[in-house]
Amino acid sequence: MAALLRKPVDSIVFRVFLCFSLPFQLKCTINDTFSEELYIKSLERGHVLNHFQFTTIWNASIEDETTFLHYRYFPKALGDVLATYRVQELHLSQTQGQWNYEHWGYPPEDAPPGVELWVWFQPQSNNLDHMWAELVNALSGLFCASLNFMDTKTTVMPRWSFRPSGIAAEYYSFDSRFMRFAALPREIVCTENLTPWEKLLPCESQVGLASLFNAVRLYDSSFHSLGLHFRPVCQDGSCTSAGIELKQTLTVVFNTAMANRGKVKDHQNWSLKSMFERSLHNTCPLASESKLYVDTSIHPAPKTALDPSPDEVLITRRGGERRMYSVYDLKNHTSGGRTFNLQAGYSGPVVYGDVTPPPLYAQRFVTGYGLEKGGITCILYNTLDTNLTVIYMETIPWYLRIYFSSIKIEAYGIPVKPYKTHFIPGKDRSQPYQLELVFRLRPLSVTKISMEFDRAFLKWTEYPPDANHGFYVNSAVISAVLPSGSQYTAVPQSGSLFRDSLSDNSGQFFLRLHTESLLVSLPTPDFSMPYNVICLACTVVAIAFGSLHNLTTRSLAAVDPEKTKKNPLQRLKAFLHGRKSQEKSSQEVKGEVVDEDGADKSVENDENKSSGDTGDSVRKRTVTVKDVTEDVSSS
Amino acid sequence: MSAPMGIGLKFNKINFLSLCIGLFSLTIGVLNGIEVDDFFTSDHTNNWAVLVDTSRFWFNYRHVANVLSIYRSVKRLGIPDSHIILMVADDMACNPRNPRPATVFNNVNEQINVYGDDVEVDYRGYEVTVENFIRVLTGRLPPSTPRSKRLLTDEHSNILVYMTGHGGDGFLKFQDAEEISSVELADAFEQMWQKKRYHEAFFMIDTCQAESMFLKFYSPNILAVASSKVGEDSLSHHVDPAIGVYVIDRYTYYALEFLENVQPNSKKTMGQFFRVCPKSQCVSTVAFRTDLYPKDPNKVLITDFFGSVRNVELLTETISFKNLSMQDTCSKESCVETSSPKSSQQLKYADQFPMPT
Repeated sequence: MAALLRKPVDSIVFRVFLCFSLPFQLKCTINDTFSEELYIKSLERGHVLNHFQFTTIWNASIEDETTFLHYRYFPKALGDVLATYRVQELHLSQTQGQWNYEHWGYPPEDAPPGVELWVWFQPQSNNLDHMWAELVNALSGLFCASLNFMDTKTTVMPRWSFRPSGIAAEYYSFDSRFMRFAALPREIVCTENLTPWEKLLPCESQVGLASLFNAVRLYDSSFHSLGLHFRPVCQDGSCTSAGIELKQTLTVVFNTAMANRGKVKDHQNWSLKSMFERSLHNTCPLASESKLYVDTSIHPAPKTALDPSPDEVLITRRGGERRMYSVYDLKNHTSGGRTFNLQAGYSGPVVYGDVTPPPLYAQRFVTGYGLEKGGITCILYNTLDTNLTVIYMETIPWYLRIYFSSIKIEAYGIPVKPYKTHFIPGKDRSQPYQLELVFRLRPLSVTKISMEFDRAFLKWTEYPPDANHGFYVNSAVISAVLPSGSQYTAVPQSGSLFRDSLSDNSGQFFLRLHTESLLVSLPTPDFSMPYNVICLACTVVAIAFGSLHNLTTRSLAAVDPEKTKKNPLQRLKAFLHGRKSQEKSSQEVKGEVVDEDGADKSVENDENKSSGDTGDSVRKRTVTVKDVTEDVSSS
Repeated sequence: MSAPMGIGLKFNKINFLSLCIGLFSLTIGVLNGIEVDDFFTSDHTNNWAVLVDTSRFWFNYRHVANVLSIYRSVKRLGIPDSHIILMVADDMACNPRNPRPATVFNNVNEQINVYGDDVEVDYRGYEVTVENFIRVLTGRLPPSTPRSKRLLTDEHSNILVYMTGHGGDGFLKFQDAEEISSVELADAFEQMWQKKRYHEAFFMIDTCQAESMFLKFYSPNILAVASSKVGEDSLSHHVDPAIGVYVIDRYTYYALEFLENVQPNSKKTMGQFFRVCPKSQCVSTVAFRTDLYPKDPNKVLITDFFGSVRNVELLTETISFKNLSMQDTCSKESCVETSSPKSSQQLKYADQFPMPT
């Protein structure tokens, strides 16, 4: 990226220099803070979650025009894009893998497989479709992802599911015309996306927690997600002025029990070195804080032994669930050139038993058979003992034509009537099907939503190059507010740093879940070349060559019709033809068509066949075989 | 101006001055070991590279390895990411079939990960189409295209265009779905010439019957090399049994071997590059085309196309910077402690779940 070409170390040095040269103040005119945090949680069944959060909080308002003219920690490449397209909130996630809610609980930042982008534009903006199209192009260049495929065929404006997560006036947050949502489930995330994402960080990947990013290990994981979240926030508790928050998150889940197979069998032991193949040597000097939180709630000490021992152990409650966090201040641990490699040893092997599932989780799959019709079914599990209202959102591409009348919600055979429904049917080649349902899940129940669709025939130019792979359908998004904080790890809406989730006293937890994305086959023509070539070639041979061959190799030979022996059929034919040929002149030489092969025969007995021309006298003229061939060869 | 040379004072001055410059440069040249030829022939000011892999599917791993190897060489020799348009039609590194995630190797010894840590792919997946490729070359892109996806060359740019994939006599297959013909490609280059989008271009292609792709070129200042003649197939080099596919093509393998020995200040020439893969190694005959190129390839440095021009000015004295303070760096208006307008009403966060629970 052109904007980030300067040597990174020099830029850090310059920034550090600039910062430290300021007198103690008198507030800096650009007042932003940067912090980096790492949250490690050991999950059930041998997995370990690592969640990196890099937060830049800037005391400036997005409505102010001079905000995006001067930058310090906030990346200029991103700021230019946000200012040009008048973006109020931007949430981009690029993910590889599916989060396993049933066994792992809830992630700090939820993301569907592939790419998901939702943006709220500022209220003064107009011509939003055009702005959206340009914004996705600009972001595709910035993040090296083909986001430019997020056009009208894949973009929707969900009415209730994606409210602004930052500060917003009420009239604004209820008007979904200001926002756009699109997802590309097929989009891959690899080092080529990590590279530009890293370059937006103030310290890039040279120093600090980002120096742990080893692509070879990050992409060899069970789940990997890059997130970028930009929103306006309150500057302080009184919330009289607005600020800007930019949160870059990287979530990765390693299966450490598998990695330990050769060494300590079935133990979940992990260390920073074993997970990332790197240890931490330093922290970002621009970060105001650099912390590591290890969540040992599932395997509390003495089951887990951490080395070095934590600076602080926090025992808190979140929504009724007891949590235990070990906190490390990385600036202390890496000062003086020391290396920090956190190691965790577990006293016992991993138990692959039943896991307490989270309050709400879902599964979605394709039903039906054949290439004409199909169905989508989503099963939602409510493990709480209270009613739970959920908003279920689906975005189905236009070529799977959903029947609104077939949408059924039922729990144990009893139909559930949705409280609200929002359905916008799709238009061929311009708009996808958009469905949002609000309904209530009963306590401790399993609810099933199902719908049917017809598969469309695409035009042959609309198939992608690997058409037989199938077509992807976006994940369904399920939003709910949980009364219990069980397995909930996200940062609360009023907080910014991950630290704010540790001291969260709220009683309600907003949850957004993404289900599996689906892969559906459409009736695909056979694009294989040999098949087409064989068909075409055989047709050509059969029709063209056969006729030509006949025309060029047959000769005309006259035959005396009187002398030919007639069988009844031929006599009938002759009779019929005789009727017709009454009008024809008698001078015509009528002959019979003689096959080259049959020429011999006809020379011998040319009275056998007759072309049916009777009546008028015919001068018998036989053409010899030799002449025929000469004619043919000369023509 | 004491040289008694003759005719007029003005003439004397000019003559003497030019003689001085000539002698000076010659001395410098001799002192630094640069040949006088080089000093006068390198007249481009920037370098660009367009590297295209047109093949999709896992069994075409070697084409992605080809293009990433050239990308790596070109970056190493100095062309920055902002001047490289990299088009990769499929994802091999993070492909679920790749037993070594986030890596692409071009050799069975798996020493060099050509995918690397710092890779920026500009066009990927379904975006690699004939239309996009021609648009990139000719510059006729929609206005919303970001900078990193544009070829912003001018008449002083040297461009390296490298293409690899499956090809035939007169065409190159894009993603198993469409083809670019040699005539289209020749016309694209002519458009570039007419629009003054290149100073010199080096076209390198590694496909079957690759020579056919450059036979139709008719624009000046193009140097071209292909891995095989018309009627011949370019072959792949070797299999990596751990990955399970062929990892590199022969021509690119030997070309890479040559390029790995090239440093940014190397004096190797394009003529040497043309002789890189003899028939004994490549099995196919490497073909090249020099009739459209005015200079002798044996006198053109390889870094003219693979490396980047960097104008370096050496300073011998130390410059000290004075201490900056905010007052010095900002203007009067912005330095005033701007208290953000305190809105009279209380701001609040939007309600995330607008339904009665």
